[in-house]
Amino acid sequence: MKQVVVPGELLSEERKKLGPNVYVLNGKIYAKVLGITNTESEIAEVVALKGMYIPKRDDTIVGIVNRVVFAGYGVDVNSFADSFIPKKAMRTDLKLGDVIIAKVEDVNELKEADLSFPRKMGDGEVIKITAVRSPRLIGKNGSMLDVLTNGTNCEIFIGKNGRVWARDGNINLLKKAVHFIDENSYKSNLTNAVEELLKEKK
Amino acid sequence: MKQETMIDYKKDKKRIDGRKMDESRPLKIEVGVIPNANGSAYLEWGQNKVYAAVYGPREALPKHSADPLKTVIKVEYRMTSFSVPQRKRPGPNRRDQEISKVLGEALTKAVFVEQFPNTEIGVYVEVIDSNAGSRVACLTAASCALADAGIPMRDLVSAIGVGKAFGELVVDLDKAEEDAPDAVDIPIGILPNSEEIVLLQLDGLLTDKEWEIVSKLGINACKKVYEVQKEALKRKFDLSEAMEKKDSKNVSKENISKENIDKKNVEKKEVKSVKKKVKK
Repeated sequence: MKQVVVPGELLSEERKKLGPNVYVLNGKIYAKVLGITNTESEIAEVVALKGMYIPKRDDTIVGIVNRVVFAGYGVDVNSFADSFIPKKAMRTDLKLGDVIIAKVEDVNELKEADLSFPRKMGDGEVIKITAVRSPRLIGKNGSMLDVLTNGTNCEIFIGKNGRVWARDGNINLLKKAVHFIDENSYKSNLTNAVEELLKEKK
Repeated sequence: MKQETMIDYKKDKKRIDGRKMDESRPLKIEVGVIPNANGSAYLEWGQNKVYAAVYGPREALPKHSADPLKTVIKVEYRMTSFSVPQRKRPGPNRRDQEISKVLGEALTKAVFVEQFPNTEIGVYVEVIDSNAGSRVACLTAASCALADAGIPMRDLVSAIGVGKAFGELVVDLDKAEEDAPDAVDIPIGILPNSEEIVLLQLDGLLTDKEWEIVSKLGINACKKVYEVQKEALKRKFDLSEAMEKKDSKNVSKENISKENIDKKNVEKKEVKSVKKKVKK
């Protein structure tokens, strides 16, 4: 059964595999954040409902250039620490405010992300969503992403850091859909609801 | 002053405002009230009204305040100038600074600070209206706001003021009781799961026995506060309300509209019949 838990709420008194967002105290497992847990699951884990992006290895992210120096560019990755891309890594020059996509190659002890394969994105718009809810935009096997691309005819790129880059197609509709998913992320049967929403507004 | 000396809780068995000795004032919490903040909470505890907002984790500024091993929780407790009967001079005074410090230390115990090195978490609590016990109200609200911001925590912090007034040990003192001649005021904040005490201050004199009783009273009262906090945080996310229900809502709306139409028809018929009668 799915259940909403608050930080410090008891998840299990038995030994279980530990998933994300839990901690152990005196042999009991407690939740770390406000989120949803499945009480019947074999793994004790909490899916966070709120929170900011913390860089993880192999994430793909949408970054915005916020600093240009001689050696490279500072990139805002929507986390608490900015990342840096050396000029060597880029073929083209970047300007302030340019949007890039990149992969997180490594994260250091200060949770700063090392970016690799940076690519400059052309004209397009960046839409924001709560970072921990961005997996909902992709869905199981990309089901939600399919619905969004078919419904709006946009070219969409979803970053794990709570930013969505899109161009062409009906961007205003996409914005509405993303906002809708952001607000209703904890509800079940969301993909169908979004499909209906896109049909209605078309 | 003469009146105050007349009050004796041991005789009256009831407090000035009619509460029982171990009864706290009505508590109401709402989270997510400030859209620009990462997390926020509004709390009403009797006459106390408090807003709490959480920003971060973010870059710690000034730079020398950053700790490379953990995040620094910076609490700013502030009373608005109209929150007390006599106008308070705006701006931080000695009391504000002290409360900010103890609240920050209490929250640091609850948060997994080592997860965000070199950063700060800004917690801003603003007292809009106060009537004794504003620091525990602020601590309760701030911990809800932290949880609302999605910051990993060991536990919520629940706090309450306990103490002695007019010869009896009481929970959640109000201003009149705090001004009693024998008043003892003990704000106490705990992590409800482990019953670890994170805030404890004492103003007045108590015997050992009294302290034992009053500390138990405080911990029990904190656990009641904890239930309210939990309820407030969960209220926003109702899992039973699945997306499928959207259809059922529409159906019910249609039903209602049909019923309305039927009603209107009936009314029209009635009106017609009345008109006919009038004509006759």
